[in-house]
Amino acid sequence: MAFWWLAWKDLLMLVRDKKALLTLVAMPLLLISILGAAFGNMFAEEDAAPIKKFTLGVVNLDDGPLSTALIEEVFQKQLSKGIKIKQFNEEDLHKKIENRSLAVGLIIESDFSSTLLAGNETKVKLLTGPDPGIKDDIVEKVIEQFADSIPIEVMARQAAQPVQADSAGADTPSTQPAQAAPTTTDHPQEQSASQHLIKETTVNAKTKIVSSFQYYAAAMGVMFLLMTVVQGVSNMILEKEQEVYKRLLLSQLTYTNYLIGKMIGLVIICLLQAAIIIVGTKYIFGVDWGASAFGIAIMTAAFVINACGLGVLAGAFVKTEKAFSVAGMFGSQILAALGGSMAPLYIFPDWVVAMTKLLPNGLALQTYLKLMTGASLVNILPAVGGAVGLGVLFFAIGLIRLSIERRGKYA
Amino acid sequence: MTKNGEVMNVNMLTVQDLRKSFGQFEAVKGVSFSVEKGESFGLLGPNGAGKSTTINMITGLYPPTAGTIQVKDIDVIKNAKQAQKWIGVVPQEIALYQEMSARENLKFWGRMYNLSGKALEKSIDEVLEIIGLTDRSKDKVETFSGGMKRRVNIGAAILHRPDMLIMDEPTVGIDPQSRNHILETVKRLNSEGMTIIYTSHYMEEVEYLCERIGIIDHGELIASGTLKELRETIGDRSRINLTLDSNATDTGKITAALEGLFLEKDLQLQDYLLTAFHKEPQSVLSEIIQRVTKTGARVSSVDIVEPNLESIFLHLTGRSLRD
Repeated sequence: MAFWWLAWKDLLMLVRDKKALLTLVAMPLLLISILGAAFGNMFAEEDAAPIKKFTLGVVNLDDGPLSTALIEEVFQKQLSKGIKIKQFNEEDLHKKIENRSLAVGLIIESDFSSTLLAGNETKVKLLTGPDPGIKDDIVEKVIEQFADSIPIEVMARQAAQPVQADSAGADTPSTQPAQAAPTTTDHPQEQSASQHLIKETTVNAKTKIVSSFQYYAAAMGVMFLLMTVVQGVSNMILEKEQEVYKRLLLSQLTYTNYLIGKMIGLVIICLLQAAIIIVGTKYIFGVDWGASAFGIAIMTAAFVINACGLGVLAGAFVKTEKAFSVAGMFGSQILAALGGSMAPLYIFPDWVVAMTKLLPNGLALQTYLKLMTGASLVNILPAVGGAVGLGVLFFAIGLIRLSIERRGKYA
Repeated sequence: MTKNGEVMNVNMLTVQDLRKSFGQFEAVKGVSFSVEKGESFGLLGPNGAGKSTTINMITGLYPPTAGTIQVKDIDVIKNAKQAQKWIGVVPQEIALYQEMSARENLKFWGRMYNLSGKALEKSIDEVLEIIGLTDRSKDKVETFSGGMKRRVNIGAAILHRPDMLIMDEPTVGIDPQSRNHILETVKRLNSEGMTIIYTSHYMEEVEYLCERIGIIDHGELIASGTLKELRETIGDRSRINLTLDSNATDTGKITAALEGLFLEKDLQLQDYLLTAFHKEPQSVLSEIIQRVTKTGARVSSVDIVEPNLESIFLHLTGRSLRD
């Protein structure tokens, strides 16, 4: 059990190191407060801001003339200055909305044209991300306006092709358009009947919006945990260069126990730091880390294991503490930048966001954000498993490398 | 025999044909010696002679390139951890956590030897008393003088009551008072039955502490025995040191002038220092000075040194121990 005392010693020394404590605890909280306040507008709803051109993702399951008219004539021609149309399949559109590549999506059902032409009510699905601003309102209004014009068209068709309309009477009841027709003629802007022709269903309405404080609490948290791991591994390499390491090897502590003790110490330090950041941001800045406290805890533990594994792997290939400190400082900053700790992930291309899941901090940040926007523990289990798996893999490779190196030097 | 008159016939340490190479460089070249239980053995040699490498192999830290090491009956190469139970090691550098107090350090190192509870606390109190730091036990090591740190460094090695204490130059760079304290501590531990292996390049320490001495140079054990036995290698002769002035450039002329007074192997002239060995130095001193003066060189100082380890080392290696 000597490894527990080794871990205890590392904790004791950390607690006594005021400079280290300042870096581990005060710095993250300070940076979260600065970045959270500074980038607040970036994450705010855009009601007050001028409306910029945005992309509307469309899934058109209908081959009929009305859906084509809606997409090509209305969105692509008349509204081309404000809205760009991009067509997807249903699965891709959901993914785009989920990963925030798109703010609004529209799914047009296969019977859209036929149902409308028959004068019946039809439905479209309007998909929105957690922070669509007023984009979804715009799309909704455009669809409503489009719907307003349908009865006129139906009437025109009926007038021009009475036989056809009559013959189709059994399949396409004409009562509604017929009732609606005079109203439409008298008050085209107040077509109550048209209101019922298209019904929008909003998907993801329950997804919460992540504020800048929430984002940077998670982003800075993972970045500083990464820095703690670098510092911990750096101290480990430094200790190996000193006489205390030789003395440890001469005691009854085995090499494996030495590594376990060091890892336990580092993991505990990281978990304490994470706890301070999470609790600190919750009570100081009111950051909502989501409903699943257990999810946050388990993801933090998984991330720490992942990051420590990566640290040990990197440390196994670097011989001196100086070299590791320099490499670690650059490495952690690059990881932080790629993982979304500096600039928000939402501005990254999709493939970059997907790739960053391979980075310990990238995966952790995306999972924290998921939890913040309402994901449950079950939703994040794949990420937890991935993080732990990667960490164990990194640690095993590092351990093999260290053992080979040690056998060449020590008995 | 021990100081108490007991018979000592159990080898605590047996080293046979020990070798260690670092790449092409052979740091230890076939060293063999043994140390009996309760004995104090000194390993003397200049810096870089191979003392620390030998010690690191004995303690099980470095794997030897060849040879065998036994502590009690344990093969150190095969069962290092088992052997290390019986060994206490005082490293050359301070191997302590500076930010922790003396007591915390001792507690930590005791735990590394699987000590715990009351036994650990008792051992810490005893060790603090032995190293004379009971009053300062709660102070952080970083606030200590070099000598005090060295004492804690020793304390950490004896907490688990080892049968053999290996000390690698434990008095380097400390004040005379601390040095004396350390030497007295080592004497005390040895008198209580602890086997001591003491490496140093300070001859007076080894002379004072050790019953037997091994002289190591360039990775080889060039002589081994009691101080008396080693003295006999130079015929119990005193050393005459003559410092010459800058005119003494023709070394061949000077050594030729002294022919007949000394054997060739007993005479050395290097860097204006003439060294000669003689049983009765007073009787030949004036003759030496006369002959040297006749060569045109002048004698600026004369020093006669009684036979000691330094003389022995100089005689065996042709160079000073502190070179």
